[in-house]
Amino acid sequence: MAPRWKWKGAEAKALAEPISKSVSELQLSLAKTSGSLSSCNVLLAVEPEQAELLDRCCFGRLVLSAEKVKKWIQLSFEEAFYLFYILKCIKLTLQGRCLENEVDTWMYMRSKRPNFPVFFKAYSHLRSKNWVLRSGLQYGVDFVAYRHHPSLVHSEYSVLVQSGDSDRLRVWSDVHCAVRLSGSVAKTLLTLHVSGNSNREDLNLPTCLENYRVEEQTISRWSPELSREDDETTSPKPKVTNVSNLKTP
Amino acid sequence: MEEEDWEASSSSETEEAGFAADDDEEFNAGPKLQFRIGSSKARWVTELGMAEVEVKRGKLWTTTGIIRSGKTYCFIEEALYLSEIGELQILGDDDAVIPLKGLYEMIAEEKSGCCWESYEVYRYLKGLGYILGRHGVPWTSKGAEIMTPSGEEEDSVTKLLGDMQLCDARAVFDVYLPNSRFKKSSPGEPSFVACLSGDSPPSKEDVRVLQSRIDAPLRFCHISQGRVSFFSFSSIDLSVLP
Repeated sequence: MAPRWKWKGAEAKALAEPISKSVSELQLSLAKTSGSLSSCNVLLAVEPEQAELLDRCCFGRLVLSAEKVKKWIQLSFEEAFYLFYILKCIKLTLQGRCLENEVDTWMYMRSKRPNFPVFFKAYSHLRSKNWVLRSGLQYGVDFVAYRHHPSLVHSEYSVLVQSGDSDRLRVWSDVHCAVRLSGSVAKTLLTLHVSGNSNREDLNLPTCLENYRVEEQTISRWSPELSREDDETTSPKPKVTNVSNLKTP
Repeated sequence: MEEEDWEASSSSETEEAGFAADDDEEFNAGPKLQFRIGSSKARWVTELGMAEVEVKRGKLWTTTGIIRSGKTYCFIEEALYLSEIGELQILGDDDAVIPLKGLYEMIAEEKSGCCWESYEVYRYLKGLGYILGRHGVPWTSKGAEIMTPSGEEEDSVTKLLGDMQLCDARAVFDVYLPNSRFKKSSPGEPSFVACLSGDSPPSKEDVRVLQSRIDAPLRFCHISQGRVSFFSFSSIDLSVLP
């Protein structure tokens, strides 16, 4: 499917402001701002300009409050760890204590969400290619992937994360369901197969991320009724012949 | 035995050039034997697991059956489909017409390379005008290269069995778009290859293994309660954006 830009100048605007550029600006601007871990989220207090950059790159959601000076942003584990570990532009604290050690942060997140390693690998795989990822919950999937900012373009892919021992799409009705849902919102279903790291021991370190491999696969449904045109011949479509068509005396 | 006079199906009524109108008249050769006007005839050959076509009626034979040493043979799914739509009568050893019941039983035996699910795929797509051939079976033989249909059939069946051991999914039919100028002598590349993966969707590995052997796009069929759905599982690599 071709990207669906939301308004006439949207594509041009996207070209003029590539995501990679916004991310670099964000990296510089945040300069080790501190975020605090709270259950499965990270809360970040930032200046209005930083909030604007975070929004431009689609990290986090604004927490509306009466506070005037700072803006509060809420980040998911994937977003927070990406800013912390990959972009290295934020610090993380847990109950007032700063977590300098990457391993401590990693272990904390894993303890809250056992599937975090696989999900983070999938998230960072697409993020590092400059795709914008947001929660896919509204569409019954893990993420939705945008080519640029959601205000400019509709998301093209609904993303499901699969790992070796996952139960996703194991029966046909799951496939029907996921594909139909995606199609009804004009997206292509994309599965990210994350493999590697069969040794559980390694998962204790964020460096295990390097041992993972991500393979992308799209799943789509084909309708034979709609695809019968043969460009080579000019003859009309043959009439459908099936048993029910035949007259019975 | 069906007594009804099936009226013309929507496929072409005109006879192929070269086939005389000798068999036009209807006659009763005995209580079990009836010849229908406009109906082709084929004889089932158990050793081959195929039917040898003896009388051809209509243009449907340009897109059905394989040609070996100048003769046309059809597989059980082709025979059954044509019988269902009243275009073909299959004769058994005793010269009696094998009724639909008998043909369904042959499908159930699964000894002729086609199970019920494969047949549903065949019937559904044929009914929409697509052209189907068994994957791995050439439409025609080229001179003396191929010995007998059974020899070839065994090769492809053995090959299919061998493939099955490595992978739960298997390729079943080469599917071509509807084409009134289709030629068995040069069919071209199929539009896609229909595959079955059994009771579950294919694993990523199975898709990879099959796609590595087959050049054409693959579509996996899910057959359930008479409904056939087709899914593509395609490896991609999303581009790096600016």
